Amino acid sequence: MAVPAIRITNLTKDFRLGLRGVKLRAVDNLSFEVADNHVFGLLGPNGSGKSTTMKVILGLLEPTLGQCEIFGLRSDSVEARRLVGYLPESPYFYRFLTGRELVDYYASICSVPRAERGQRVADVIELVGLTTAADRRVGTYSKGMLQRIGPAQAIVHDPRLIILDEPTAGVDPIGSEAISALIIELKRRGKTVLLCSHLLAQVEGVCDDLAILNKGHLVAAGSVGELLRRGGQSNLVVENFPAAAREEIEAVLARHGAKLRHIDEARVALDRLFLEKVGPTEKHSKDPV
Amino acid sequence: MISAFRQVIQIARLTFLEAVRQRFFNFLVLLALALIGSASFFRNFDFGPQELRFISDFGLGSIVFFGSILSIVATAQLFFGEIENRTALTMLAKPVRRWSFLAGKVLGVALLMLVFVGLLTVLLGAYLWWREQQLIAIYHQAFLDKTWPTDFPDAQRVQFGGLALNALLQWLKFDVLVAITMLVASFSNTNLYTVIVSFFIFLICQLQYIAHDNWTKISSPFLRTLAWLLSKCFPNFQLFAVGELLVFPAKVPVPHLAVVAAIGYGALYIVVFTTLAVGSFRSREI
Repeated sequence: MAVPAIRITNLTKDFRLGLRGVKLRAVDNLSFEVADNHVFGLLGPNGSGKSTTMKVILGLLEPTLGQCEIFGLRSDSVEARRLVGYLPESPYFYRFLTGRELVDYYASICSVPRAERGQRVADVIELVGLTTAADRRVGTYSKGMLQRIGPAQAIVHDPRLIILDEPTAGVDPIGSEAISALIIELKRRGKTVLLCSHLLAQVEGVCDDLAILNKGHLVAAGSVGELLRRGGQSNLVVENFPAAAREEIEAVLARHGAKLRHIDEARVALDRLFLEKVGPTEKHSKDPV
Repeated sequence: MISAFRQVIQIARLTFLEAVRQRFFNFLVLLALALIGSASFFRNFDFGPQELRFISDFGLGSIVFFGSILSIVATAQLFFGEIENRTALTMLAKPVRRWSFLAGKVLGVALLMLVFVGLLTVLLGAYLWWREQQLIAIYHQAFLDKTWPTDFPDAQRVQFGGLALNALLQWLKFDVLVAITMLVASFSNTNLYTVIVSFFIFLICQLQYIAHDNWTKISSPFLRTLAWLLSKCFPNFQLFAVGELLVFPAKVPVPHLAVVAAIGYGALYIVVFTTLAVGSFRSREI
């Protein structure tokens, strides 16, 4: 059986607050697995324990109880972190470096061999569409560009698992679409992606599986298809639907013991309409400013 | 392990780069340079052959004063900059050990202090040399003209090797202060708290020699032990205050062994405080 990218077993994390050490349980007996080469969505309202769980996965926090493994390795080991790329929420980077210097710095920190580094840095900068801005200082980047240089530093050492924490926070729909495309591309390249986002449409669009946390507990987990399926109901999409046909269809359905619940006018999603109207153009997709 | 040491160097390099681009560093360097330059006003007073000692005291004092401020403030600022801006989160999510991160920060600030001390010492040395040449010429001429009883005295000549050695000792003292500040930062929550506590510890280290000189005179065994412990916990910064003895020929010169011992003493405290900081930072939640 294949080793999962992430295996969390009975994870509990308590924080001690104040001088008296009052205990706050951020995550309570959490268990789930993320399969290799899957895109996994971790959802939940603010304060649900998502960030704590992610920090445990990244080895930044020690669990109070339970354990966390990355490809079979303890998540707090340096060896495990070699396999992980991480994009924090609202990333802040060294403003005095250029985009290329920044990505190169993280590549060197991750021990990417010097001979490969230049090409690797150029490749990931191209992948996130920042080639023309690569030699500008990060301090001059727009929010959208910062959100793009973030994934570049996360994947420059070619990790097997990429953790994206709110990669679309404060990003316009074009930027969001670009990040969705990047996630799909990473999956195509054999990577596993853990996506934490409040942009539910994006999660639905790119994730294979998801888990929903609430108040530190796992309240739902499974494949997106399974979790979103409404049992016993189907949608029909009909072109040029004449009003006269409705009665005939209802009669046919009634003969088979089924019932037409309601008819909606087909609508395009708002983000899709936005993208159709304003982009992504070549300039936007390659170099958002 | 080799990659961990390489990471320390890379983190140190970036820390240094970040520090030298900060306005605070540039401001302090300019202020210290201005103070050393302002030593030329001493020429308005007639100090005689002693003028070089005044210039030297003024310059070395500026280096010590501004260097101490810079060691504490730069360390606190560069550490909390990483925490508050959450670049530490990005960094520690990489295959970077916590000790590498902290050691890199300490080394980066140590490099900054090396540049600070080196720059100001070179400037002070150049100024002393220039003025010394002038004074030698003036007093030699006065001696020939019999308007001054002796030639320029050797005891007032600057020992530039001693000046360089003093710079090394001061740099080491600043590095001890950097390690102390890093230890405080490793468990404190704010930049301000770190700066204030570190300044208090700096003052204790400056005055530590009083405890050190007196602990043997205390009659109570408990208090004597306490005073002894305190005198060991805090390094004695007076051991590094030998500038005048090194820069000018002294009646009793500083023994070479004492200088080597002071270097070892400083290095030991740097290692101890940095190790304690690493231990404290290891359990810190980022």
